[in-house]
Amino acid sequence: MNSFFKEHFDHTTLWTTLALIVIGLLSIYSATFDMQAGRSFDHQLVWTAIGLVLMIVALATPLRLIQRSAYIVYALSLALLIIVLAIGKKVYGSTSWFGIGGFGIQPSEFVKVTTLLALASYLSRSDVSIGKTTDILKACGFVLLPVALIMLQPDLGTSLTFIAMLLPVLYWAGASQFLIVALLTPPIIAVAALIGTTTFVVVLALVGVALYLLREDMFSSSLMFGVNAVVGIFVQVVYEKLALYQQKRISTFLNPNNDPLGAGYNVIQAKVAIGSGGLFGKGYLHGTQTQLNFIPKQWTDFIFCVPGEEFGFIGAIVILTLFAILFLHGVKLAHVAKNKFGSITALGITALFAFHMFVNIGMSVGLMPVIGIPLPFLSYGGSSLCSFMILAGLLMNVYANRKEY
Amino acid sequence: MVTEEFGSSKRRTIITLVVWLGFIVVVGRLYQLQYIYSAEYGKKSEENSIRKIVEEPVRGYVYDRNDKLIVDNRPSYSVMLTPIDFNKKNLPFLSQILGLPEEAILEKIKRARQYNPFMPARIKRDIDFRTLSILEEYKEQLPGVKIQTESKRYYASPASASHLLGYVKEISDYQLERLGDYYQQGDVVGSVGIEAKYEKYLRGQKGYEFISQNARGQMIGTFNNGKDDIPPHDGLDLHLAVDAGVQALAESLMTDRCGAVVAVDPNNGGVIAMVSAPEYNLSDFSGVTPPELWKALNDDDSKPLFNRATLTRYPPGSTFKMVLAIAALENHVVNENYRIVCRGSFKFGNKVFRDEHVHGSVNIIEAIQKSCNVFFYQLMLKVGLDPWAAVGKEFGFGELSDIDILEENPGLLPTTDYFNRVYGKGKWTQGYLVSLGIGQGEIGVTPLQMADYCAMLANKGHHYQPHIVDYIYNNRTHKTETVAYKKDSIHVSERTWDIVREGMRRCVMSPGGTGWEARIPGIEVAGKTGTAQNPHGKAHAWFIGFAPFDHPKIAICVLVENAGYGGSFAAPIAGLCMEKYLYGEIIQPQPARNTPVSLKDTAITPRVTLVQKAVQPGSSIQTQKIVKTSPESLRH
Repeated sequence: MNSFFKEHFDHTTLWTTLALIVIGLLSIYSATFDMQAGRSFDHQLVWTAIGLVLMIVALATPLRLIQRSAYIVYALSLALLIIVLAIGKKVYGSTSWFGIGGFGIQPSEFVKVTTLLALASYLSRSDVSIGKTTDILKACGFVLLPVALIMLQPDLGTSLTFIAMLLPVLYWAGASQFLIVALLTPPIIAVAALIGTTTFVVVLALVGVALYLLREDMFSSSLMFGVNAVVGIFVQVVYEKLALYQQKRISTFLNPNNDPLGAGYNVIQAKVAIGSGGLFGKGYLHGTQTQLNFIPKQWTDFIFCVPGEEFGFIGAIVILTLFAILFLHGVKLAHVAKNKFGSITALGITALFAFHMFVNIGMSVGLMPVIGIPLPFLSYGGSSLCSFMILAGLLMNVYANRKEY
Repeated sequence: MVTEEFGSSKRRTIITLVVWLGFIVVVGRLYQLQYIYSAEYGKKSEENSIRKIVEEPVRGYVYDRNDKLIVDNRPSYSVMLTPIDFNKKNLPFLSQILGLPEEAILEKIKRARQYNPFMPARIKRDIDFRTLSILEEYKEQLPGVKIQTESKRYYASPASASHLLGYVKEISDYQLERLGDYYQQGDVVGSVGIEAKYEKYLRGQKGYEFISQNARGQMIGTFNNGKDDIPPHDGLDLHLAVDAGVQALAESLMTDRCGAVVAVDPNNGGVIAMVSAPEYNLSDFSGVTPPELWKALNDDDSKPLFNRATLTRYPPGSTFKMVLAIAALENHVVNENYRIVCRGSFKFGNKVFRDEHVHGSVNIIEAIQKSCNVFFYQLMLKVGLDPWAAVGKEFGFGELSDIDILEENPGLLPTTDYFNRVYGKGKWTQGYLVSLGIGQGEIGVTPLQMADYCAMLANKGHHYQPHIVDYIYNNRTHKTETVAYKKDSIHVSERTWDIVREGMRRCVMSPGGTGWEARIPGIEVAGKTGTAQNPHGKAHAWFIGFAPFDHPKIAICVLVENAGYGGSFAAPIAGLCMEKYLYGEIIQPQPARNTPVSLKDTAITPRVTLVQKAVQPGSSIQTQKIVKTSPESLRH
């Protein structure tokens, strides 16, 4: 029995996940215990219990069954997205919620899971070749469909997470490095062009170097370089044509410091909170920024500020270490899993975790624009917590079956 | 395209490197923030945190049609408490000063703490000067308690106009949820009348001041020298069509009565006066409304909070006869030469419908003049329900008038469909119609609809949307913003207008007319009385009228509940109000109406008797005195 447990039970994922959830609950409690939102903590506890059940279900369901039913579940989840567009609740400007009693459900969080499974199921089919352009386009289609629906809500941050999952998965499945560069560089160039002409030129040069290093044929490389150059120039021309307030919105998005009382307010307060935490923090429930509620709704997207302020650099390192263990474990699992579906799923899960974590913490420390996506396992929000816990359960499932073909 | 092996070790290495790179960047940044610059950020969090403080705008003023200020603002003082700074040991002391129970204060502190323990919250609004001076004296002993100067409504005019103006009160949780982001706990919001309807214009726009605050929530100065502050924009001013003088007079005439007066300008639909009696005192709502007062107002049998001018639904009685007359003439059922002989009652089936008098031979003009019921009983059966209802609908009955206050009732104008729905097809008879011919039975109108209808009789069918607000003055741009109101007209032949209006003129001006008590010296008045039978007590007295007859400037409706004859109880009030409007004062000798007469025993003494009394020897001094008395002072 003991050896069976050792062999098939994924302790690493379970304990890192649970540790992160506990830290999240403590942080939510600290941020809200003194306010009207004090019930957030109780809600999150309920969600954690629900999440644990879902996690066990994800772990216990046979992997084959998951693989086979992936398309149907995917289709059902898309139907849910369409329904939410039609009858959903509007919260913070986007229609992405179902209200059931006092609890809101955000289907787009769960669609992340179903899309990943459908994509993994497709790519692991023996008749699908990653070298074929049509198959790659089909794979992209699996992701672009929900992205389009979510953009209609509109919810930019969640849409980006789908793209962030697609690229590593394609890469892992064996797509050429050139393809990855081709998909990755235009958005980077576009952002660089928005920041300024100098940045644009420097990044374009870097793309040139990367293309040279890939040693692709001359035609493809120069085509790619041309496309990037055109994208950058196009973005700059469009930007110039925009109304002043639109330009301001974009520049504030890229650099919140430009608008210290508006969009930049949260970021500046978040940086002050984390920075003032120092090496050891101000002590639990003693963070002045947290307790003074300087950061509006910080228990959702800016939750990292709470441990950052109250437990300082040490606390932040503990959290980052837990995440690092989880990610490296996920990548390793993807590598050792014999089953192609399981392998792709494990990598996709890791990519989702990592993207959410880096963007969310990057946003709190002022390295990233403010994109409202949650910090896995820590942020307040039932749908995101549950979907992350399902993903953790799936990861454990892959671990248990890693030696099966 | 060249593809590599799925899940190769090389790719695993690259992905692992990317993850590591990400961690290095994040940890580097955290090291920078939390170690290198930690002291700087620590200082910032200690000293330089920005807070938004709301600056309240001044609510817009309200003026009458002669630019007389009727709703003003006065300073008021609120007690604010910052939960984090307040010492609970001081609770009994504070409770004693404010005269509030300790539990009530605790409850407010609890709610404020939930919202934000560092923000001052209002504990008591509109404290008196005694409390203010005591608090000032003990300021040092009461940390966390401070006084905030605000403004509250002050009613500058003798006209109280309570139902028309409406009041502002502290926003309820329900409103807070419904009205959106602009409001927050403790804000006041217009709740009734034009204060509610024009809330968006009157409230203005809040301003924000940014201040720097330290970690203990104490203010340490302005942020960025106040350069980022957003100043508040004061509310816009409303200019009403209302004449405060006429309004005040009408209110005084309705003292101790239940009922309503609505006067409109037949040339544009502007509401000159709108009274619902009994009234309530708006000043009671401008600061804090004691719960006992609320309860008393709500429990009062005379329903003072209910706007009778727009919400009551009574049968209009004989004032509705012109609708039937127009329906008959326009459908060529009868003409002006048609006569009947009135013998004082009308038998239909086995039911007898009574009349007040035996009128003998009457035509349509005389039937309006003398209010002959028998004539209209018969006419109703000739015209039929639906043609009659069609004309009633054209005059706006059974529908909302869309006046610019939210409290309104559409009333009831029955049709064949209505009776079929209520009683079932074939289960009602023509007998139901007979009383409708004289405005009794299953019909309900509001005084506002009656005034509107009277205005259309006055201006021969032009229908203007009745409105209280004439225009809005923007004190920031110094521009007036006119409000667009609907208008249309109904098609009735000139001949019909002449006949019906002549009947109304004679009703007031000719001997034998029932409305003679509405006469005004030197001006021709037209009108119609109504006495609506009421199973629960005395009849409701109605009068509608307009003047001058040739170029009407005012159309009025008066309703006095449970009073008796419309000619005796409603017509005199209408006459005085029109006189006040047209002459600017009451030029006839008037009785001193300062002693409220009890509704049960006394009616308004007929005018002629008063005039006769006035010329009696010995009473001349008193008469002189009364003539000089301005109508505004009649209230006191």
